[in-house]
Amino acid sequence: MIYSLIGHYSLILGLIAGLVLFYLSFKNFKNSIFLNSKILTFTFLQFFFVVISFLSLVLSFIVSDFSNETVFNNSHTTKPLFYKISGTWGNHEGSLLLWLLVLTLFIFIFLLRTKNQPVKYKILTLVFQQLIIVGFFIFLIKTSNPFNYLFPVPEEGLGLNPILQDPALAIHPPILYLGYVGSSIIFSSALAATSLKMISPNWAVHIKNWILISWIFLTLGILLGSIWAYYELGWGGFWFWDPVENVSLMPWLALTTLLHCIMVLERKSSLTSWIIILSIATFTLSMCGTFLVRSGILNSVHTFANDPERGLFILIFLFVLIFLSLFIFFFFHKDEKLNRPSFSFLSKETSILINNWFMMYFLSVVLIGTIYPIFLDIISSEKISVGPPFYHKLIIPFLIPFLLMMAIGPKLKWIKSRLNDKIYLILLLLGSILLAFLILKNFNQNFLINTILISSALYLFFVTIRDFFIRKFENISQNIAHFGFSLLILSILFNNLFSSEIITNLKVGETFDNSKTKIIFESVDQKKEKNYDSIIANFKIQSSNGKKDKLSPELRIYNQPVIATSEADIKTTLMSDKFMVINLVQNQDFFNVRYQVKPFMLWIWISVILISFGGLISFLKKRL
Amino acid sequence: MNFLKVTLIIFLIFSFKFVNADEQDKRNQITKNLRCLICQGQSVYDSDSEFANSLKVLVDKKLNEGLSEDQIYKYFKDKYGEWILYEPELNKNTYILWLLPVFIFLIGGAIIAKSFIIKK
Repeated sequence: MIYSLIGHYSLILGLIAGLVLFYLSFKNFKNSIFLNSKILTFTFLQFFFVVISFLSLVLSFIVSDFSNETVFNNSHTTKPLFYKISGTWGNHEGSLLLWLLVLTLFIFIFLLRTKNQPVKYKILTLVFQQLIIVGFFIFLIKTSNPFNYLFPVPEEGLGLNPILQDPALAIHPPILYLGYVGSSIIFSSALAATSLKMISPNWAVHIKNWILISWIFLTLGILLGSIWAYYELGWGGFWFWDPVENVSLMPWLALTTLLHCIMVLERKSSLTSWIIILSIATFTLSMCGTFLVRSGILNSVHTFANDPERGLFILIFLFVLIFLSLFIFFFFHKDEKLNRPSFSFLSKETSILINNWFMMYFLSVVLIGTIYPIFLDIISSEKISVGPPFYHKLIIPFLIPFLLMMAIGPKLKWIKSRLNDKIYLILLLLGSILLAFLILKNFNQNFLINTILISSALYLFFVTIRDFFIRKFENISQNIAHFGFSLLILSILFNNLFSSEIITNLKVGETFDNSKTKIIFESVDQKKEKNYDSIIANFKIQSSNGKKDKLSPELRIYNQPVIATSEADIKTTLMSDKFMVINLVQNQDFFNVRYQVKPFMLWIWISVILISFGGLISFLKKRL
Repeated sequence: MNFLKVTLIIFLIFSFKFVNADEQDKRNQITKNLRCLICQGQSVYDSDSEFANSLKVLVDKKLNEGLSEDQIYKYFKDKYGEWILYEPELNKNTYILWLLPVFIFLIGGAIIAKSFIIKK
């Protein structure tokens, strides 16, 4: 009760601080020799108020204050403390408050850490960021206030969706948001720099840090979501081309493109228009994602309860931001038409352009695949589904030249170069093709395409490994990231090609036996926890080479709300995962059992961590 | 342009379906491409709902009747509408969906080649 009050008024104070900041910025902008210290104070105050508001909500969740509507809708007294806290952002209102928290945090750090940049630039960045922040304040207070009061106070809450009660998912939203919302700084800063005509190598060096931060968090955030989907959604996949997954992939693609492109600008003033467009696009895509998820247009596992008013607000807000940025872009930005840069065909610039070209293609596939069904539905009211086969068909063929370019591109020098040690590169390519052929020799499905794909991924793999030895620490961050990517593609391919699966129905005591694997259903245990009851089935697996494993998948029946979930049991080893999940079949006394052996599963996660580690090294290298 | 040709050939190879997977694999393959209509964004293969299970049985039955993969997709499309297929067909409704990305790719390539790269 008291927390809700504090939280609510802190929000309003934060909004007022935003308005004051507009006024201060306006005054300071006119005579801008020094940054007015009040600006920093108010930026801090605003951040502080949002923190207070956020903590109040967390406390409301911890003490299960059901006079708060958000808490009532999303919590329950029997939840473990950890999930009471993570429930704070496991819903629409709380997750938007988290958005706001990150928005205010980033601009505060930005003002604090940005040195050697003109005062006017800092002020303008602040103004653009405040536009977004104030917009979100109004959105939060008007349509999704997390502190709505309920009377009479309910005795008990409705509970948190059980599939959200999970450690990976508890930290997935904050990490993802740091990436999503972090791109707002890039957006504001790009607009400010455009207005002041200071898109230059100097600006590029400065903004690259922020691009790296967003990129690292976005990568890790997507990874966490993917790991969660793997073990919690219960059927052994890790990427479903679900619209909400796509929505997080789009800003990632735009950000990755920007990260490559900014390296050109770091060295000379070229590609400026393109970089501004990318900076705007990245944040716009993040906002679009929020709109699509929050408006409930998308059919997805992620959709929370929602109403059209919210979608409409974000849509209008989004259009205002896009219109504003386009206006600034066309009004202030003069392209360097006279000295349009041209790059030699064999140069790092060209290879980065080719990267951008492919990345934009991938982005357009994902974007069109995600929103086209919505448009078609509105225009002709015909419903179509766009699923994995669509994305695979359009993306995989293009991955082959993309992987080859990733191997060769970084070897080129700036401006103009010759490809050195051609013989090694060709030998490695031949070696990769041979190896891929040997691996797939006994495999007859889609033999040709798979051999080509694996060859090109192996090629990138070997070229990057070789570079670790011959180039040592030169470009180590790029090399780690590219190596990680080759490992990712290889792991996904092997995982797809060599997974095996057994689906069967078993009663307790029964045994399934095929020539390779024996599954013995040994016993069933029952367990009672605070927030769920569970049935644990114990299986023994014997493979033909004599190896034995015990797996115990679970069925849980959560009490609040009453939902049954299947908890997979996974045995992870370096080379493969053994994955088992059971389901009840209605009116039957047997269980539906699914057992999968999934090779290289662990390496999918490791490779994504490697990719973001590459980004981290690049970030740290700039500091040292 | 050689590069584009190669891409095109690869694309064609990829979309060519080989017919030698055994029955179980084939059923999985088909059910992965069918949407479970009562679930939130799950395929029939991934779901264990009653609807999905009855569809799996139906797919088996159709396979036993000797229907090809495409015939089975057509059967489900006629019965439940296009919404059930994860791979949208190429028709007047979906030309934009399938061709726009490729078109964007070509335009992008043309812009890069024309404006940035020195010609020999």
